Amino acid sequence: MSGAEWLSYSLQDFVMFGPQVFLRLFVRINQDLWPWQLLAVVAAIGIPVLLLRQGDAARRLALGLVAVAWVTSGYGFLVGYFSPINWPATWFGWAFVAQGALLGAALFCGGVHKGRLPVRQFVVLWLVAVCGLPFLAVADSGQWQSVALFGIAPGTTAAAGALVIALVTGPWRWLYLPLLVLWSLFSAAMFWVLQTWWLLIAPLATLLLVGAGFWLSPRPARSQD
Amino acid sequence: MANWITRRKFLITSGLAGIALKSPMLFANASGIPTSSPITRRIPGANESIPAIGMGTWITFNVGGDEQLVAQRTRVLKTFFDLGGTVVDGSPMYGSAADVMGEALDSLDAHDRIFAATKIWTGDESETRSEAARSSGRWGVERFDLLQVHNLLGWQGHLETLKQMKANCEVRYIGITTSHGRRHREFAQIMEREPLDFVQLTYNVLDREVEDRLLPLARERGIGVIVNRPFQGGSLFRRFQSKPLPDWAGEAGVNNWAEFFLKYIISHPAVTCAIPATSKVEHMKENMGALYGKLPDDDLRQRMADYVRSL
Repeated sequence: MSGAEWLSYSLQDFVMFGPQVFLRLFVRINQDLWPWQLLAVVAAIGIPVLLLRQGDAARRLALGLVAVAWVTSGYGFLVGYFSPINWPATWFGWAFVAQGALLGAALFCGGVHKGRLPVRQFVVLWLVAVCGLPFLAVADSGQWQSVALFGIAPGTTAAAGALVIALVTGPWRWLYLPLLVLWSLFSAAMFWVLQTWWLLIAPLATLLLVGAGFWLSPRPARSQD
Repeated sequence: MANWITRRKFLITSGLAGIALKSPMLFANASGIPTSSPITRRIPGANESIPAIGMGTWITFNVGGDEQLVAQRTRVLKTFFDLGGTVVDGSPMYGSAADVMGEALDSLDAHDRIFAATKIWTGDESETRSEAARSSGRWGVERFDLLQVHNLLGWQGHLETLKQMKANCEVRYIGITTSHGRRHREFAQIMEREPLDFVQLTYNVLDREVEDRLLPLARERGIGVIVNRPFQGGSLFRRFQSKPLPDWAGEAGVNNWAEFFLKYIISHPAVTCAIPATSKVEHMKENMGALYGKLPDDDLRQRMADYVRSL
């Protein structure tokens, strides 16, 4: 296809489903998983509790839970529910799984910061992400059953997962970053076409939380010399 | 006993006839199934006619494994069949739409009621047969009535294979498609030299470029024309639905905006069929209203185009 022909396509041409069908994905996965999503809620609340303990093992366990959340939202929601109506979702689904594996590898290969984290700010931002963002789908659909939980819905998982940049060291964070940016751009374009304006907040929040992750990252201790 | 027509009977009968003429759907019986004849168009070069209103599946039938929405779309398809439709168009590009169509056809046991049209959508020109086979498996049809090369993607190789498939009775009709007014020059060149049964293109009361070259060429070459995006992807409703229909809409056989847009299209002598897509039963009923009653003549068509431009 020529460049001019590509220009004749609009974003709408690449979104082959309607908003009703997309928002129903959240309702369906919640109905199918019930009551197991309560575990996701426990994990979402448990992660900041673990971080407040300030221990190395607790921090590693918290990151392990985030890694599992990437895998479950990628394989469960994106591959299992979203890919039948949108083929790029398959790629993103496996990329989410790979992101979880990457975080797991960072845990075992010395990729976790051992420095002191500004925990209070981290916890506040984390709770805003995992408690606020799930209700964007509810605002767009008008249905409580469409709540988009951390560990199940990719948007909430990516946004909260963006904060993890604060906890991984140099090379790992740069490997961790591309999917966050790509997913934000992809989902923002999709929500724009679908005109699901509330959901559009999720990718914007993800990008802001990426910045917050860098900002919260523990600084190397300065030498007194 | 003599069966005199009283003045009372005459007035009641005349009144009912007037109402029925105003609204073709009132020709329907108690179950909503029309009793008058649908508008059909002969497929050029074939001894076969098809209803002038068909159905597209872009976006609307891509509902994945959502059983609630599959059941709802099955009701849309049932309404389409009940109101006289047969031509359904899809593409492997439309996600799960082919699977949903297959499921709906199974539920309705309607495989013998459909004129099944889909597309070949792959850049690999050796994949024509295998993609057609995959699609027929998804739709649950033995063979397609019409196979089209989607947006001219790999058209040279695909068209050669499609010609062989038609010769072997693996498909009844073959064609090519475009949309959004893309690649019309190349499209015309293919129409001029290839033995096509159908072309599919975008045409509506605002996008009328095809009236200059492609539609006359289709008539000249004896090629059927299927029209996609008859509502410009829904934007015609967003722009005009709040506006009044013209006073003379009844002269064009038009009762609502859906009929206005569709009758404008199917009244063009080169057009065989328009394929609006919808996910709602009520909208399907409105669309299928255009399959009945009278059509605008050339003068009225011009007034329709002028009226829309003036709004």
